[in-house]
Amino acid sequence: MTIAPCRPKWAGTMTDRDRFNRQMHYQPVDRSFNMEFGYWEENYKQWPMFVKNGITNELEANHYFSFDRIWTISGNVWLYPSFANQIVEERATTTVIMNEDGVLAEVPKDRHDTIPHFLKPTVVTPADWQRVKAERLQRNDPARKMDIEALKFFDPVDRDFPLGIWCGSMIGKIRDMLTFEGLAYAIYDYPEMIEDMVETACVLVEDSLDQLLPHFKLDFAAGWEDICYKGGPIVSPRFFREIVMPRYKRISRKLHAAGVDIWYMDCDGDVRPILPAMMEGGVNCLFPFEVNGCSHPSELLDEYGKDLRIMGGVDKIELGKGREAIKAYLQTLIPLVERGGYIPFCDHRCPPNVDPDDYLYYLDLKEELYGMKR
Amino acid sequence: MDTLVKSINDNILQGQHKIVEVKTQEALNSGIAPKVILDEGMIAAMAEVGRLFEIGEYFVPEMMVAARAMKAGLALLKPQLVKANVKSLGKVGIGTVQGDLHDIGKNLVGIMLEGAGYEILDLGTDVSPEKFVEAVKTDKVDALALSALLTTTMPNMISTIAALEQAGMRKQVKVMIGGAPITEEYARQIGADGYAPDASRAVTLAKILIPAV
Repeated sequence: MTIAPCRPKWAGTMTDRDRFNRQMHYQPVDRSFNMEFGYWEENYKQWPMFVKNGITNELEANHYFSFDRIWTISGNVWLYPSFANQIVEERATTTVIMNEDGVLAEVPKDRHDTIPHFLKPTVVTPADWQRVKAERLQRNDPARKMDIEALKFFDPVDRDFPLGIWCGSMIGKIRDMLTFEGLAYAIYDYPEMIEDMVETACVLVEDSLDQLLPHFKLDFAAGWEDICYKGGPIVSPRFFREIVMPRYKRISRKLHAAGVDIWYMDCDGDVRPILPAMMEGGVNCLFPFEVNGCSHPSELLDEYGKDLRIMGGVDKIELGKGREAIKAYLQTLIPLVERGGYIPFCDHRCPPNVDPDDYLYYLDLKEELYGMKR
Repeated sequence: MDTLVKSINDNILQGQHKIVEVKTQEALNSGIAPKVILDEGMIAAMAEVGRLFEIGEYFVPEMMVAARAMKAGLALLKPQLVKANVKSLGKVGIGTVQGDLHDIGKNLVGIMLEGAGYEILDLGTDVSPEKFVEAVKTDKVDALALSALLTTTMPNMISTIAALEQAGMRKQVKVMIGGAPITEEYARQIGADGYAPDASRAVTLAKILIPAV
């Protein structure tokens, strides 16, 4: 099925690439960059506009709503091969799976979106780690050699959209193998193992950057950790500063040497206790900035000034409350969009409790407030 | 404070579970009353963990390793507490509401409540309203602690409170709620007795809601 956009692209006088770069560098723009961070799986099954138009994924949704284009290229920076995703046991209402990180996890049979119930980590002891490292984290594995020519497809000479590079995760993917509890205990029980895991994550990213950076003129770098929740980080700020941040610095040096000066970190929850170390390591943009789990974006943009950027920060809870709440919330973001260094969108995948008509209202109001309709 | 009890307290704060186990056994062998070991060694240490968490000196990992250390000692202490007829501060049934399989927040709250002297009935994840009601009926819990991670499962907190009302049990039990999307305002809206933003403050809330024995 060919997907016809339901809205024209917002009017503008700049390319998406120029707009993104100028907005991220506090320079005047024609209008705000227009993007969203996708949807829950349920939205594709429940929202009539998605069902009716055969929209089943984020790429198709982005096309349907005519969002500005943004893309990221990536090297192979973690497990290779990853573990085979497989069903281990069927239970009454749940299925026990082994996921791609090798963790045994219980997920709902109907596969509705939720964080799984983790049952058994991949790595508990240093012996487990040595086995995984030897089998799946070899730096010289031929699969880690990038096909530069194939990736050039994403970087045509007349590219008019921002292109980023993937900088992986220094601790989030380790948490994924150890589980949340396992990581907390391992930091105490096996500190050398944990540092070796972080170092391994770092060299794999460095290797990827060494291969890719010379061949592309990139606009930003992207990373992922998801190591915070509403109550703060799941690792102590001291651990983050002493073990993780120095590796961020190494990556940042490579990025800056290649002219990439925007590095956003995808980390939900309350990042504030580790933000100073994150920024010292070179991260200068937060994504998708969960409001209920952290703060209103203005709080951190006021505190950190132009050293920090934010992408996201539209409270999904407010989106679910209806039009009055949506309008009131979006109005609070106007000064931030005008200030620069801020791109507004839903602060995570948009959940299915948001009424689809209210979502369209939200998109239209965004254009009215931050687009050229003003 | 006795040197051994102080050592238990200090080592819980430092997350040294193996040492706590050894020191608890030594304390029992030396004839220190189990209630003293519990109150001054363990509950006091976990209260300090909670305080340090609330002022931002401890984070979740420190809380978890401290709780692991406390549990190592408590496992040795429990039979002696039963023998000495030491009562808990109350019984709390805790579970993640229906539709939600996530259990980290629930486990943290359970750990901290146990560390504060409450008896915990862990109802698990994906807990139906009926199962919560059953816990009140059969297990005589003083409070229910409901956790939800997702905006889509939050309404199951409403269903649980409605099921308690329908079963005529609402007045017999306090309902405390928490989880990523939950707010104080939401707790008020749905008629819960209280909201705690984190595991430490769940203890503070339990102390308010559950009258001392």
